[in-house]
Amino acid sequence: MARTSKSRLRKYFTGKTTILLLLSVVFFFAPEETSAQKRFAKTYPATPTVRVSLANRSGMVTVEGWNRPEVQVRAYLEYPAAEIVPQLVNGTIFINVVKDNQGRAEVGNVNFTIRVPYDAAVDIETRVGNLNVSSVRGALVRAKISSDGDITLTNISASQVSAENGIGNIFFDGEISSGGKYRFTSMRGDINLRIPFNSSFKLIATAPSTRSIDLGQFANNNMRLVGDGRRVTGQTGDGSSSLVVTNLRGGIKFIPR
Amino acid sequence: MNCEECQQHISPYLDGELVEDVATQMREHLTICAECSKLCEDFSVILESCRESVPADIIPPNAQALWCRINNLIESEVQPEPEKAEVKKGWFGRGWNISFSQATAGMLAIALISSLLTVVGIRNYFEPSGEDYTSRSNASQTTFEKFLSKIGLSDSPQQARERRIEEQRAAIEYWTKRVQERRGQWNAKMRDAFDRNLNLLDESVSEYTTILEENPDDELTGEMLDTVLNDKMDLLREFSDL
Repeated sequence: MARTSKSRLRKYFTGKTTILLLLSVVFFFAPEETSAQKRFAKTYPATPTVRVSLANRSGMVTVEGWNRPEVQVRAYLEYPAAEIVPQLVNGTIFINVVKDNQGRAEVGNVNFTIRVPYDAAVDIETRVGNLNVSSVRGALVRAKISSDGDITLTNISASQVSAENGIGNIFFDGEISSGGKYRFTSMRGDINLRIPFNSSFKLIATAPSTRSIDLGQFANNNMRLVGDGRRVTGQTGDGSSSLVVTNLRGGIKFIPR
Repeated sequence: MNCEECQQHISPYLDGELVEDVATQMREHLTICAECSKLCEDFSVILESCRESVPADIIPPNAQALWCRINNLIESEVQPEPEKAEVKKGWFGRGWNISFSQATAGMLAIALISSLLTVVGIRNYFEPSGEDYTSRSNASQTTFEKFLSKIGLSDSPQQARERRIEEQRAAIEYWTKRVQERRGQWNAKMRDAFDRNLNLLDESVSEYTTILEENPDDELTGEMLDTVLNDKMDLLREFSDL
């Protein structure tokens, strides 16, 4: 009886040891998972109108305005982790992941979350990935995606706004400042602009393939169709600002706030 | 006696036709003036040789008259040209003999040519925008622009568009080579995104080119083609940095 239980115990432990050994061998030789992340965090004291310039390779970038005189940069770096070397030059914070990792065979996504003073100027671009900017009211908001990705700009009150992507949607929710310049360009996707109903602007909206240009409440007698409906030009109010929207293979929609 | 008087009297002096006091003055001058003395010697040699070569029976009808003719001939050769009568010069034609109407016409021509050159210069100096050069049709050209393109000072919209497309294609070719060199280092996700966007741009280029072949005056399509080629250039350039 005692011998039987001993042999059972021995068998039990031998089995467990084998499994553990196997598992450790598997984990030892297995390649590191792509989900493995490295973190980067740095905070810079900044003037209220600081400019932040970011060029990313791939990954999501989120920029948020906050009520502090500092810029906080946080990044999650997927394996193989990219090099990040931010630089502060003449009041501008430069982060250039493209340049810092040029020529490297493999670089994982870098997902940024950056907090900036409300009045900061924001200039961000990436080759692939989504860009989000919110609660910024500085002189400039520029967001560019070279290829795939969505751009979402919410609660923006900048006098110059530019959003450009390849395949993906663009959503803008913000003010149209008097004398401002606004440009939204996409190759394929939807462009939705949510702006105050009393906004004043000169408009050139072009959707050559779909001819889908929905002005909603902004349609008026000063607007006219050009090129068989492929373009709408005109103005609302005193036309003090300029709004240029181009969507090569998608639609354009105006939504009043 | 001065040199001028002496030279006038050389011939009669040699012929022994001068009165004694003038001949004395001649001799005095010839002793102190090497130039006149040389001239007199030369004349003397010529006379001597003439006397030797001419047969004795042939005597010149009038030696003095002959010497007068020779003298006249020599003088006529060395005589300075008579001063031209001063031409009255007008207010406009100082130095040029032109009338007021000719001057006015000339000034107008200069003004017109300089205006044209200024316009062409300004047009060439500033970077042409897509709207100005690539998307415009003949229909939207002003009369002045048509005139400029007719006389070869400015491109027609089609020519401008073709030139710009050539430039864009050259740039695209360059960046395509750069991308080919780097592409092997990208990960699969990057390659897929790049290819997807490049294909979409190529489709658009092809579509707009076809529309323009059918209707070269379609300004909007010209502008879109320009935009798409620029986008393609940007895509290639940005991915060649990776």
